[in-house]
This record gives sequence, C-alpha cells and structure tokens, in this order.
Amino acid sequence: MKKAALIEKNGRLRIYILLAVFAVFFAVIAFRAFQLQALEGGKLGRMAANQHNRTVSVPSRRGEIFDRNLKELAVSLDVDSVYAEPGRIESPKAASRALAPVLSMDAREIERRLGSGRGFVWLKRQIDLGDDQRRKVAAIEGVGITKEARRFYPNRQLASNLIGFIGKDSGGLEGIELYYDNFLKGVSYRLTGERDAAGKTLMYEDVNKQASIRGMEIELTIDKTIQYIAEKSLARAVEAYGAKGGSAIVMNPSTGELLAMATLPTYDPNNFNSFMPREWRNRAVTDAFEPGSVVKLFLISAALEENATRPEEIFFCENGSYRVADRTFHDVEKYGWLTTSQIMKYSSNIGAAKIGERLGKQRLHRYLKSFGFGEKTGVDLPGESAGSFMNYKKWSGVTIDTVSFGQGISATGIQLVTALSAVANGGFVMKPYVVRRVADSKGAVVAETNPSIVRRVISEKTARKMTELLIGVTDSGGTGTRAALDGFEVAGKTGTAQKADLKKGGYHESAHVATFMGFVPARDPKLAILVMIDEPKKEHHGGVVSAPVFKEIASESLSYMGVYPEGPGGAKTSMVQYVSAVSQSPLQAREGGRGAYAGTKEDDAAVGGVPDFTGKTVRSVLNAAKERSLEVSIIGSGRAVAQRPSPGRGVPRNIPVVVWFQ
Amino acid sequence: MLRSRDIDKFLILITLLLVSAGAVMVYSTSSIMAVKRFGTEYFFVKKHLSYALAGVALFIAAAKTPYRVYYKLAYPALIIAAILLVCIYIPGLGFKAGGARRWVRFGPLAFQPSEPAKLAVVLFLAYSLSSKAGRIKAFATGFLPNIIIPGVIIGLIVLEPDFGTAVTVGALVFVMMFAAGARITHLMALVAPIVIAAWFIIHRFGYMMTRMLIFLDPWKDPEGKGFQIVQSFIALGSGGISGVGLGAGKQKLFYLPEAHTDFILSVIGEELGFMGVGAIIALYAMFLACGVTIAMRAKDLHGRYLALGLTFMVVLQAAINMAVVMGLLPPKGLTLPFVSYGGTSLIINMAAVGILLNIYIVENEA
Repeated sequence: MKKAALIEKNGRLRIYILLAVFAVFFAVIAFRAFQLQALEGGKLGRMAANQHNRTVSVPSRRGEIFDRNLKELAVSLDVDSVYAEPGRIESPKAASRALAPVLSMDAREIERRLGSGRGFVWLKRQIDLGDDQRRKVAAIEGVGITKEARRFYPNRQLASNLIGFIGKDSGGLEGIELYYDNFLKGVSYRLTGERDAAGKTLMYEDVNKQASIRGMEIELTIDKTIQYIAEKSLARAVEAYGAKGGSAIVMNPSTGELLAMATLPTYDPNNFNSFMPREWRNRAVTDAFEPGSVVKLFLISAALEENATRPEEIFFCENGSYRVADRTFHDVEKYGWLTTSQIMKYSSNIGAAKIGERLGKQRLHRYLKSFGFGEKTGVDLPGESAGSFMNYKKWSGVTIDTVSFGQGISATGIQLVTALSAVANGGFVMKPYVVRRVADSKGAVVAETNPSIVRRVISEKTARKMTELLIGVTDSGGTGTRAALDGFEVAGKTGTAQKADLKKGGYHESAHVATFMGFVPARDPKLAILVMIDEPKKEHHGGVVSAPVFKEIASESLSYMGVYPEGPGGAKTSMVQYVSAVSQSPLQAREGGRGAYAGTKEDDAAVGGVPDFTGKTVRSVLNAAKERSLEVSIIGSGRAVAQRPSPGRGVPRNIPVVVWFQ
Repeated sequence: MLRSRDIDKFLILITLLLVSAGAVMVYSTSSIMAVKRFGTEYFFVKKHLSYALAGVALFIAAAKTPYRVYYKLAYPALIIAAILLVCIYIPGLGFKAGGARRWVRFGPLAFQPSEPAKLAVVLFLAYSLSSKAGRIKAFATGFLPNIIIPGVIIGLIVLEPDFGTAVTVGALVFVMMFAAGARITHLMALVAPIVIAAWFIIHRFGYMMTRMLIFLDPWKDPEGKGFQIVQSFIALGSGGISGVGLGAGKQKLFYLPEAHTDFILSVIGEELGFMGVGAIIALYAMFLACGVTIAMRAKDLHGRYLALGLTFMVVLQAAINMAVVMGLLPPKGLTLPFVSYGGTSLIINMAAVGILLNIYIVENEA
C-alpha cells in the first residue's frame, strides 16, 4: 500500500509536470499569435493588401485649356473604351468572335489579349459606339465599356507649338500640356480587384462607380484671334520667301503676358504622330539664334542710360569700312558722319561698334545681361533655352564690336521680345508668362499669375529717348519703313543676321535670319511684337521680309483690340474716336492733362482717361480704380512710380492698367 | 482542476464548439476552391458535416461502452491498425495522394490508417502500462516492450511517409511513458536514438531537410519554400486583433495552401483575428484540463492512462499544428483536431472524446 501510494504520488507529480510543460507551450503559442497579429499585424496586413489587390489606373478627365477670352484651345471629349476582365469570361473564343465585328477588330487579336493572363485588358480605346453596338458589347459577360476622355484640339494647328499635346496614357508631352501636366491631368482613379495566388483577378469594382478628380482648367494669356493673326501673317511671309520657318511673338509689354506665339513649322496636335518631332518644337522658346542688328537697340539704350552718348552726338562711320585688329567691318551703305539716332535709323554696324567701344565691354556686358541675354526668361513653357552670351572677361579684341551689332551672341525670340518690352514699358524687365489662371473643374481659381518685375534696366527718361530713336527707324528713310502703320507711330528695329555655319565655321553667305521687332503705339505701347523669319530666299533683309509681317500683325491686332489711330491721318478711325482724338494731342495727354481721348468703343469707364496714380499707395490706387471700374494690375509695393497707359490715356480692351510700385 | 461535477458538460461543450467552429471554417476556407473544382461551394463542408455526424454516432457509442473493454481490445486493435497500415501498399487498396501513400480505400470508404493507428497505440499503452504497473522501471520487461511495439507502428507510419504523425505518436508514447513513471534515464536513452534516427531520416528524405530549415527564416524564400509559412503569417497578421470578418478572408483564395486542412488556424486568425485564435487556444487548454482531471480521478490505472493518452493525442497534435502555423515548428502536415477538414481524424478524435466521457461516467458510478 505504501509503495502504491508512492507510485500514486509520483504519478500525480509527473502529470503536474506534463501539465506545466503544456501550459508553457500554450502560453508560447498564444504569445506568438499576439506578436504576429497585434504587433506585426499592420506590416503583414499591408503585405496582404499588396498581394491581393490589383489596380488598374484609369486616367481622369483632363482639364481644358482656354485662351484669355475662354475660347477653347484644348478640350476633352467623352468617348467609349472597351475593356475586358478575362477571368470572368467563360469562353474567350466565343467572346472574341462576338466582339470582332462590333469593334472592327480581328477576332484572333481579341482572343490573344483575352489570353494574356492579366486581370484587366483594354480591347479598344477611344472609339465611338452606337447604342446598338453598346448593347452587343454589354451582353458579353466580363466585357465592359467605360467613358474615357479623348483630347481634342478644335483649332487644329492653331497655337499647337505652344499648347503641345498628350500621349495616350503618359500625360503631356509638349508645351502647356507638359508644363502644366500636374494641374491638367487630375487624379486618375484606380480600379481595385482581388486576385488569387494564380494571378487571376476575381472581381473588379464597377468601373463607372468611382468618381475621379477631374483635371484643372487653364486659362492662357494668349488671345486666339491675335494668335490667328500672327500665324496667318507669319505663314504668308514664310511661304512667300520660301523660308525654313519663323516665329512671331506678341506680348503685352506692360505685363509680360504673351498674347500670341506663332511658330513655323507647325503640326496638328490631333494627329501629332504623323509629324516630325522637330515640327512639334516651340522654336520661339527653345531655339536661340544670332539676333544681328536688333541688339543695337539694347546697346544704345545702355549707352544713353550711362550717358556714354547723346542722340545728337555724331560718330564717323568710316565710309563703310572699319578695320579693327585683323577684322574689317562693313556697312550695307557707306556712311560718313552719323548721329546716334541715325546709327539706329540706318542700322550702321560701324557706328554701333564705335558706341560699343565707347561704352566698354564691362558695361555692355552688364546691360545686355540686365536685359536678359544669356539667361532664361522663366516663361512657363518647357524646354526654354538661355541662348549664349559669353562673359566679357573671355571676349577677344573684336568681340565688343561684333556684339554691338549682334554677332557672337545668341538669344531666343522670347528673350528678345521681353527685352524689347522693357524699353517699351519704361525700363522694367518683366517675367513673361502664358498661363494667367488655373481653376478647378468647378471654376474656383487655384492659381493666378500676376505680372512680376524681374528688374529695372533703364530709366523712364532713357526709355522715352529710345522710343524716339526707334520711331525714326520706321520713319521715312529708316530701315524699317515697311513696318510703319497708318495712324500709329511704330517704334522698332530691324535685324538681318547671317547664320553661323556650324560645319565650316564663320558665316553662311546665303542663310540669313530676318528680324523685325517693335512696339506700338510707340508712345503708349499696347503690343510688343517680334517677327523672326528663318532663311528667307530671294530677299533676306529684316526690313523687307519681316517688317511687313509686323505691320500686318500690329494693325489687325490693334483694330481687333479696339485701339484706333491717334492722328488725323487714321483712315479707320470711327467718328467718335476721331473727334476725341483730335481734341487733345497725345503729347498733351502725356504732360498730365486730363484727356478726353477714349480708347475703346466699349470701355465707357475709360472715358476721361486713366487717372495719374503717381505717388499714391496701393490701396488708394485700388480705390480710385474701383470708382472708375478700371481693371488694374498691381506690380510691386510701396508708392506708385510708373503706370501704363500713361495718365489721361484710354484703356483698350483686354489690357488692365498696370501700375508699378516701389 | 475543474469542478468535477461539470467535467462532462464542459468536455461536450468544448468538443462541440471546436467541431462547429471547424465546420464553419471549413465552409469559409473551401467554398471558393470547391466551386472551382467541383462546381458547388458545399462540396467540402457537406462531406465534413457527414463525417461529423458519423463522429457523433461513434462518440455516443463510445460513451456508452465501458472503457474496460479496451483492456482486452488492446492487442486486436494494434494488430488491425498494423494491418491497415500495411494495406497502404496493396495495389487496389492503398493509393497515393500528394507524393505519399497515406490512404486506404474499401469500396466507397477511404481513410488514413495512421489516424486509427494513433488510437490503437493509446489503447495499447494504456493496457500495457497499467498491467505492468509494477515493472515499469525495469528496462527490459517494463520499458522496452512499450517502446518496441508502438515503435513498429511508428515505423510503418514513417514509411508512408508521414513524418508529422510519426512524431506525434512518438511524442505521445514519450508523454505516456513519462506519466506512467518510466525512469528518466530510460527516457533519455530513448530520446538519443530518436534524435539520431530523425537526423538520418531528414538526410534520407531531402524534402524534409528543406522543410526543417525553412521555418527558421521563411522570409529568405517567401515565393518558394517559405511560401506556406509566409502566407500563414500574412493571414494571421492581416487579421489583427478582431479579424477581417468571417468569410471575408482573402488568403484562402489559393494563397494559403491547404487552408481548409493544415492551415485552417491561419484563416481563423485572418477572419476572426487574435480573438478567434485565442479562443481556439483556450478551448484546447480547457480540453487538456478536463482530460487531465478525468485521468486524475480515474478509478484504476487503465482508466488514468487511457484518459491521459486520449487527451494528449488531441492536445499534442493541436499544439504542434498551432506551433507550425505560427512558425515555431517546421511544417509537418498535421491537422488541427476537430477543426480541420478530414474525415478519419474527426471521427477518431470524437470517438476518443466518447471514451474519455465514459471514463468520467464510470468514475462517478456508485
């Protein structure tokens, strides 16, 4: 009995030991479960989601692009796209045969796509289906239709080099479409499906159920009509002279807004694939060229600002042949003594070289740099080139002379027209821009571009002197007479540059770039325009080839904008404007008289002219503008130092009064 | 332990909870696969429920059968079990599934002989250990026979090969010997050759080697050999505390191999979270407590060892299965008793509970 009791006791002890061992075992298992589920649960859960969900991204509806008057430039149209979920299709063969005639596709091709092993495949994208066809497609299990937006450019090639285009799934590829892609594209929505380990997708959420976030709408500074005028005029000249291409840029010189940017060659963005990539380029921004004589405009601005010369000062122009070191420079016509004004008017290279020498390379370099040479303007377009402008420390002996008449320096069209605008607006280098407003799909403004000053380069006084000199260019006897407009004074400058021969070095004998740039009306500029024509044949002078294009763009645009001739000679002036125009001369208006000059037919608010804001604070300017229902654009802060239009002037359509504060 | 009066109710309740949780989870885990393979989502759950019904019948029969009959049935049961294990190799009777011979078919009835073999070993040891109670510490007469005879059965199971069941039965023998008072030195002497044998077997069968090692670091090869474990972790982890909801689990969608059998606990973890897994663990712990209480109160050694053996037959396998699912032990191909899909196992385990209940009933007689 004793032994039995011992065995019994021993047996109990051992059972307790077993129990304890198992208790520990269970505790370990429970702790491990807690660790995996509660502690690492999040991480493991994400891994689970990764392997379970398969998403298909369906692009959202892309935002539209409008011109400044809300005319459509790029729109998104809803079209049908047909997709399939192969996992849900019972018989790919039967489905393919049924779909082939509806989608006008090869049945074998459809079957191949269905058999690709993916959970979601597009069968045909962006097609227009009739109701009958839709019904047929919808009848097949596992095949569906979704609305997809197709990009459409209603004006075809109009502004295409500026607007750009989009690829099928990859978003913007060129132009505004590329630069503003993040705004335009919206948030593409995802279809989520569950898949099993074999990679088969079991189910997708309904394609049409989820709303996407639509892309934002963009409003350009471009005016479709002015763009059209620019393109038409440019194309006519390029064709007439058998030129390789060209560009025409129209800018509001007071603000830096681009009103038109035409380039050739061009393409139809609806069908961009049938054009060469070089035809997609926006040359006005991407391509730098040697500007030639137009640089004299900036040279003389600098010399006047620095008091290095006066408009009446005379220079000896060496009778057309000027030797510096081992180089001899020539003028087209032989001149003896010319004033600074005449050097500009007749575009004497030798005169310019002498003014350049007077100014010195350091100051010339500084001013041209200030005008924006060798530096990107920062315009909101892709692929901008900075041009090339060497530091003066690296200049050789004759560089000061060549740069003075525009050789050995290169610039883009946008750089030149921006620099020109600085002369036009009284000395402010503005940052050029193309997009003035970004709004979400409900119309709320998300971003707005305001004019911004990059720097001031010359004084108002110098700018006024320059304007007089530039008016001389289009006056009788000048190189730019073909740019002169009836009833408007035009300030401008011609340029004729031989193209550099990149293969042999030196310059081409027969390849030229013909340029004209100017602003109008000269004393109250509404438009700054650059016309550049690349390799015109027969004629190559900027004054012959490009000046008439300038004239056409300027006169048609001004008339479209409701800016009518100032002088008695203006044939197109309506009676009302004519009467008010003669009642006070522009000069009087400038001197601060309260002019009765009315700028536009529609703008009643402007009758009585723009008040003189000089010296006022931002707040009082805004109040005064509100009283008169004027649209004003405020630049800078502090007290008003300058304004466009000048006091007493009328306000044309589309252009706000710009007031600079410092 | 527990209040002895309630043990029977507890035991029945625990078993019913596990079996019904199993039925629900078998449906949840197998329905999609069943549709795919057999065209009806109920294919597996219907079979499972019919086995459960057979199990209930056997449970009632066992509960009404005085457990003393097993004293005499020990050897016959063992011989039948051995014969069935040999039948695996008879063409026409035995058949292969998944690279191993584990099945025998008599007409419409197909089952895994290793499951009744487990029961037979328990019956044999309960008889043998209680009849030789005084000699258990004697190596040659008390210890060795209780090792050699089950060893033959284990050997037959290893040959299938069904390493998991073999280890379970081996561990069961060890546990019962220990409880019955075998010398620790003898037991240690037993473990040594088993370790050597295991080492040999692992080397002999290459697939086991990789199975053995991969569980230590399944992330090393999550797409290949660690796939099962990694998928089990992902299932458990994505369940979190409260689970993704019954039936809403995604891991069973062909990610988790054998979701309705060996890895059913992973799916429980995914769909019902830590609360579900914790509940299952608690149920087995309570099962252990009930079983051990019955064993302690047994009127004779036969009843005690029988109760202990049956309890550990269930709990040991459950613990190993759970440890495998959580990456604590290498994958073995063991099911979760009462819960996993699998007819033979379910029926045998329910019969075991019936016997346990009978031991309890006898304890409370007179």
